[in-house]
Amino acid sequence: MMNAHTARGRTARRRMETKDVVLIALFCAIIVVLGLVPPVDLGVAGVPITLQTLGVMLAGAVLGPVRGALACALVVLLTIAGLPVLAGGRGGFGVIPGPTGGYLLGWIPGAFVTGLLVTVLATRPRSRLARQAATAAACLVGGILVVYALGVPWTSVSTGLSLRQSTVTALYFLPGDAVKAVVAGLVAHNVRQAYPIERR
Amino acid sequence: MTPRLSLYVPGDTPLHRVPAAWKLAALLLSGVGMFLVTSPAVLGPCAGLAAGALLSVRTPPRQLARHLTGPFVVLALVVVAAVVFQSAATAATVGLRLAALLLAALAVTLTTRTSEILDVLERVLRPLERTRLVNAAAVGLAVSLALRFIPEAFHRFHEIREAQAARGLSGSPLALLVPLAVRMLKSAEDIAAAVDARCYPPPPAARRADAAPSPARSPAPAGRTDEEATG
Repeated sequence: MMNAHTARGRTARRRMETKDVVLIALFCAIIVVLGLVPPVDLGVAGVPITLQTLGVMLAGAVLGPVRGALACALVVLLTIAGLPVLAGGRGGFGVIPGPTGGYLLGWIPGAFVTGLLVTVLATRPRSRLARQAATAAACLVGGILVVYALGVPWTSVSTGLSLRQSTVTALYFLPGDAVKAVVAGLVAHNVRQAYPIERR
Repeated sequence: MTPRLSLYVPGDTPLHRVPAAWKLAALLLSGVGMFLVTSPAVLGPCAGLAAGALLSVRTPPRQLARHLTGPFVVLALVVVAAVVFQSAATAATVGLRLAALLLAALAVTLTTRTSEILDVLERVLRPLERTRLVNAAAVGLAVSLALRFIPEAFHRFHEIREAQAARGLSGSPLALLVPLAVRMLKSAEDIAAAVDARCYPPPPAARRADAAPSPARSPAPAGRTDEEATG
């Protein structure tokens, strides 16, 4: 549950400051709000999708790996504490053993990997297009590959479906998530241009 | 306008009076236990017990129905998928297990204040503080800040949405999210300064300097206090 917190001691060059805690809480709030607001229609096969997972990728891409993962861990903590913070007002401890519990927990490593890849890939290229593409690619890998890697087996354990069948259910959400990853990449790139902060 | 931010229902039923730590521990143990059991003959009574516990809470029926519809649509889909792709026996096992967990978790969520659950979590985290990987006070601060920021972010989101709609940009996620994130980042500096000005969370150095430190907290290692005092 609190695995992400272990990253704090090792990777941080300097210790957690108040501003880091504030940023984590702010992005946690953004993730929650993106699940509460009516979904923006991204026009993919009529599937109504909320922007909540977009917030997860955004947290990793804007804040960096450690703080991004901690923002997601905070959402998980609030969920367990019984607050209706997930899309559609879901919440409570029951979410974790449910079919989607793995996706929720997968947000933590997902945001971490997104942040890590953005740091490695997207800070070096000179051209704007290359940086945008690299940020979007980081969101695709962290926000989809890593999250699904935890979510799909979890669904299979929770529901008794075989791995292949739960992969098929996940594929239904893939187009929407892919669009969200690209949007998250563009948003993160623009945010970093408009208001660059130190990434950690 | 602002959404209600807790599932807790005030009351004085037996389940309300059980300490939060016991309820959470029981939930965790039964959750693990039910994934080890596959026999519907055991899981059936478990689900019945959980339903009984939920009914004993005496939630207004309409509220209860609202909490249960979403999860039970998912549950129905899971059971149908299990019947189609596997056997009826698997469907019974999976369906009863998930139903029992959902009902029990909802019963605990409805009868326990968020602050009580967070207290338990902070108590669980406190021994980990000694490993220097977790700072329970920082976790507590993050939680209370997040609870304050959720309505704030909601408000800002709608403000930006209206402003963009007035410019004919309705429905563009880019035009919504970039200003939202930038505004949040900008305000972080001020909020952090405000928190620091109120000396919260109490720095370990101050705790150590006190002749009588609060007994609940472990004394911080020496190297860390110096770093935080200067940083």
